[in-house]
Amino acid sequence: MQEPPDAANLLATARAVLLERILPALPPGQQLDARMVARAIEIAARLIADSATPQAPPGFAAAIRAGQHDDDEAALAMLRADARARLAISNPRALRE
Amino acid sequence: MDKARLEAWLGQHICITDMARLSGGAIQQNWALDVTRNGAPEAWVLRTDNAATLPESLTRAQEFALLQAARAAGVTVAEPLMLCEDAAIIGAPFFVMRRAAGHASGHANAKRAAAVGGDAALAAAHGRELARVHRTAPPAFLGAAPAAPMAAFIAEMRARIDALGRPRPQLEWALRFLETQPPPPRQPVLCHRDFRTGNVMIADGRITAVLDWEFAAWGDPHEDLGWFTARCWRFGQDALEAGGIGSLDDFLAGYAAEAGWQPQPFTVRIWQLAATIRWAVIAAGQAARHLSGREPSLELALTGHMVPELEFDALNITERLRAGTA
Repeated sequence: MQEPPDAANLLATARAVLLERILPALPPGQQLDARMVARAIEIAARLIADSATPQAPPGFAAAIRAGQHDDDEAALAMLRADARARLAISNPRALRE
Repeated sequence: MDKARLEAWLGQHICITDMARLSGGAIQQNWALDVTRNGAPEAWVLRTDNAATLPESLTRAQEFALLQAARAAGVTVAEPLMLCEDAAIIGAPFFVMRRAAGHASGHANAKRAAAVGGDAALAAAHGRELARVHRTAPPAFLGAAPAAPMAAFIAEMRARIDALGRPRPQLEWALRFLETQPPPPRQPVLCHRDFRTGNVMIADGRITAVLDWEFAAWGDPHEDLGWFTARCWRFGQDALEAGGIGSLDDFLAGYAAEAGWQPQPFTVRIWQLAATIRWAVIAAGQAARHLSGREPSLELALTGHMVPELEFDALNITERLRAGTA
């Protein structure tokens, strides 16, 4: 058993400190850096929590390139599910739009 | 940067009164230079290579030649002034050009245009400007025109995906669509290949300079039309298809007025798909630059996490094009 708080809790807490306490005190030239750090923490937290991103079968991309899946609706459904799962980690806001 | 050496190279009639690094430019460095020439003040920009350059990026000497060619063709560009290919002066080759007034901010332009329901005049002005870019005579170093620009584009993207080493089945799906349903081709022209609102200087609602020619190459004119209007360059103003500032129709009308031919929206949207694929490949490449350890950068790292949205977008656009509803 690891000692709590867990990674998700620590990252969320650290991110809140960054955005609420550190960022407002920074000169304007460094606020973008702080926002990027907050974003990296947010994505990293979702990456750590993720355990079930589906794996495309080996050779799938090459087979698509070779024309073996043209008009293959099952292949398209798999591609959509995979892209959606990765987008939910990288930028879930884009899924809500 | 060694100001004294630079000043000596510029010549005795020129004095540098101020210099400051400009923001932006992951690949190039831009410096604002205030000088006096024979005592009269002038505002310049010095453009030079960053520590890490990209193999697909043109050299400063080539970019300088492109600026001269574009200016001769009537494109609104900053006047190129002097080129220095000697890396010993400031550490890398550089050129100086006149500093254009205004700002190049995709976000700010889109926000301002959206507040008034779209800026038809500004969208048309971008269309006219792009038509002038396409009239520019491609310099000899760009080689011969490709026989089939779309086929060349697909081959280039596949080669770059292979070089990055990670399979990209969503991008393969979209590329396969482009291969099997190619749009009607046009005669290749000089394409800017990064013509978007973030690379066009605006002052008082008017275009003052088209920037960043480092990716220019022969291509189908629709490639630039698709790049400018792709969703990834609309800065959240999705309904304003032309760079988040206006409608596709207004943009294409401006283009047609200057170019003398009318691009078809469906063909432009096919090239929007190409643009989305290319930006995904570039973004994956930026993450790879970070991961290689040669150029550790949080900005490059985060750019890698833009890839899934672009892949998702590419699937959606492919679906609309397949259904004929684009």
